[in-house]
Amino acid sequence: MSNFKVVFDEKSCWGCRACEVACKQEKNPFSYDAYNPENPDSTCHLSVRADGPKEVDGTLDFTWRVTICKHCDDPPCAEACPEGAITKDPATGIVLLDSEKCIGCSLCVEACPYDAINYNDSNGKASKCDLCYNRVINGLIPACADNVCLAHCVYFGDEKDIGEMIKEKPWLKHRLEGTLGSMVITVEG
Amino acid sequence: MYEFRYSNVQREMEVYGYDEMVKTSCRGCHGGCGVYVYVKDGKIAKIQGNPDHPINHGTLCSKGLAAAQLVYSPDRLKYPLKRVGPKASGKWERISWDEALDTIAAHILEYKEKFGPESVVFGYGTGRENEAVIYRIANLLGSPNTLTAGHFCYGPRISTGIITIGTNPIVDYENLPKCVMLWGNNVTTVNADEYKGEPFSVALDAGAKLIVVDPRLTRPAARADVWLQLRPGTDGALALGMLNYIINENLYDREFCENFTFGWDEFVARVNEYPLDKVEKITWVPKEKIMEAARLFATTKPAGIQWGVAIEQQINCVDNDRLLMCIMALTGNLDKPGGQALFRTPKVVNVGQFGAHGFLTPAQSQKRLGGDRFRLSSRFAIINPKCVWDAINDEKPYPVKMLFFISSNPMMTRPNAKDVYKALENVEFMAVADFHHTPTTELADIVLPAAHWLEMDYVGDFWKRHGYIVTRRKVVQTGECRSDHEMLNDLAHRIGQGEMWWDNFEQAMDYILSPSGMNWQDLKEVDYIRGEVKYFKYLDNGFSTPTRKVELKSTILEKMGYDPIPQHREPPEGPYTTPEIYKDYPYILITGVRIPGFFHSEYQGLPWVRELSKDPLVQIHPEAAAKEGIKEGDWVVLESLRGKVRMKATLFAGMDPRILSAQHARWFPEDKDPRHGWERSNISVLLSDALEEQDPTFGASNLKTALCRIRPEYPKEAVHE
Repeated sequence: MSNFKVVFDEKSCWGCRACEVACKQEKNPFSYDAYNPENPDSTCHLSVRADGPKEVDGTLDFTWRVTICKHCDDPPCAEACPEGAITKDPATGIVLLDSEKCIGCSLCVEACPYDAINYNDSNGKASKCDLCYNRVINGLIPACADNVCLAHCVYFGDEKDIGEMIKEKPWLKHRLEGTLGSMVITVEG
Repeated sequence: MYEFRYSNVQREMEVYGYDEMVKTSCRGCHGGCGVYVYVKDGKIAKIQGNPDHPINHGTLCSKGLAAAQLVYSPDRLKYPLKRVGPKASGKWERISWDEALDTIAAHILEYKEKFGPESVVFGYGTGRENEAVIYRIANLLGSPNTLTAGHFCYGPRISTGIITIGTNPIVDYENLPKCVMLWGNNVTTVNADEYKGEPFSVALDAGAKLIVVDPRLTRPAARADVWLQLRPGTDGALALGMLNYIINENLYDREFCENFTFGWDEFVARVNEYPLDKVEKITWVPKEKIMEAARLFATTKPAGIQWGVAIEQQINCVDNDRLLMCIMALTGNLDKPGGQALFRTPKVVNVGQFGAHGFLTPAQSQKRLGGDRFRLSSRFAIINPKCVWDAINDEKPYPVKMLFFISSNPMMTRPNAKDVYKALENVEFMAVADFHHTPTTELADIVLPAAHWLEMDYVGDFWKRHGYIVTRRKVVQTGECRSDHEMLNDLAHRIGQGEMWWDNFEQAMDYILSPSGMNWQDLKEVDYIRGEVKYFKYLDNGFSTPTRKVELKSTILEKMGYDPIPQHREPPEGPYTTPEIYKDYPYILITGVRIPGFFHSEYQGLPWVRELSKDPLVQIHPEAAAKEGIKEGDWVVLESLRGKVRMKATLFAGMDPRILSAQHARWFPEDKDPRHGWERSNISVLLSDALEEQDPTFGASNLKTALCRIRPEYPKEAVHE
């Protein structure tokens, strides 16, 4: 079993929100309507929100926070779901919500400590990040983490490596050498 | 073991079954980022960054990612239209390109004959890579009047750069500056001109120190080593204070200053008029902070200043720009690796040549609107919008009869929107080219459907100063849309300029590229070309100014009759200039803080980005909000001497309580009334366009310093209905 993760380095996030639109592009393919306030919002499994400005240790601080499913080891949402619609995929560690089985009871929404599950009025079902499951199992990086972020603050990789990656910034060497396109991220499995 | 690569084209094609991937370059803002466009069944399916591209290194912003939503928007204009009802009636009839261009041509020729070519004003908004072609048609017609955003955006940087150091100095991120000073610019979310936020971000990750000059606590300001929280409109005084400290503490590059600057003694005398105690009072920035920032910048090398329009949209525009260049020069950072590079564009026909400025006769050039008043901008063929509105409304100094706007929505983006509306309502004939209807197109006589960047071939970025040209390849065709370049090439033939234009625009691109030995087909084979990279060029040739030195004292401004030494000017409205107005309008209004997803008035109808910012927002400090009885999310009324608008309040503690910060260019494409709610939340309604309140040299408007007041909206109050 491998454990795929996407982690945001919030210290580096500029709040440009490109990751949100990258998610929308992936989850709403060929969706080309005009904006209408009456329509439900496009499907999007993460959100970037301002934290502050507020006093932290005597100085005014301002940070962007990213809300996204953390694909917990022991997901409380899965436990809360009476229909067994939420499961942790044993092969990838991705927590998946089966929309077919979802009855829209919202218990998962309440159970999530990260506020990362949405209830959609439009179809009466819950939805959450699936770490772009179909991309990941096919060897593609999740849309939000596929080098879209101009701060390079969205990390994708193996759960056991990702803390080190955020510290070491392995992309930086490739970026400075102009070889970002050939950088390889490996996940054991 | 699984292996992953960024923007893995081969896997994308296999997994999604795309038919094709086209490499091109985005122009969602001013453009430049390399992108991959995946196509399926002839339709754009996905946009990704090109990781091997020198501008974005694969990263993209929300605008680029949402581009296909504009291409396929149901609101898209697909055919030329003529208006068949009164202005803003929304009554249109489809016509052919021939009828549209013949009608426009007939009006141009008629007005040229009756009122002179100066009565026809061409215009564009912010840089959409069409400037050279628009200037070309105007200059060849003999009209000195091309109305752009140049009076308060980028034009001042280019022009002051040319007169002070020979060109526009760009932070050389590639060579990793050790200190970056972000001044009046948040390059991480704005629509940057040359480099985008990515290399700035990388420079910080590689260890650069950061100084941020901004009245608001942006995320870069929160991350900065020093944040200078200045009063809006006092950038010039702050720069003079920093220079004062740098000079008097002997932190400047003495050798550079002795050999390569002009006007030293007089400049130092001016700087000495701004001791730090005085600067602290003017700017509201504690002098210790100013000293700390000045010392950090002057002693950490190489260092660069990433500057933005905020310092230009003020009465002190030109001197603000020049003062920042003086800081770059005195600290020895000009044309230095990792400092402030003076890049060379590849060898091509440059925008000035292509724009045919040399063909405008001196007699016509002298007729440039506002040219007597704003003499520096006039030298660079830039005019102030109010001068055009006055010529339409009052026929002074001569009548303007026709406007032809291309990618411009001045109703939303020029100060004193009601003044703009009046002129557009009064003008005899107006043609507008755009992607979809806007408050401006709704007042036009003819509307032309403009091609999107995904629908055109072009020599991208050839007007910029980062030394690159990027290849833009056409991916799809929508309706009968034509690129700005193609439509003007066609129109030029219909007004007797045929011999100066081409059979098709590919030939024009061949002409642009000809000095490089390449043609368009050659450029299509590569993703970009770069000019020769060379630093310290001044050691051989000096700087490209009249004195061959950095002109701390401008010989050109002196000849034009302006003060040749930069100074600080107080905003025309403010707590100190107009205390009597300040009593009733006790807030300083910053406008134009950038909104992720929008490019000024553009993209507000695209769901993926509009959902990021549904309502027009004004930021108010929690203390001020409490005083005014305003809560988070309340609709409020903002009012200045010029007018009032409604916006939604959001509390923001990261600024002085005496400041408000409002979003700009907010309109409502979803509002099917042909006015699209243009005045409801249009902050330009509050701003002044009075000529005496613009920068005296350049005509730049104050978008950052108007005085206003704020109150909760009364129940059921409708401001404009």
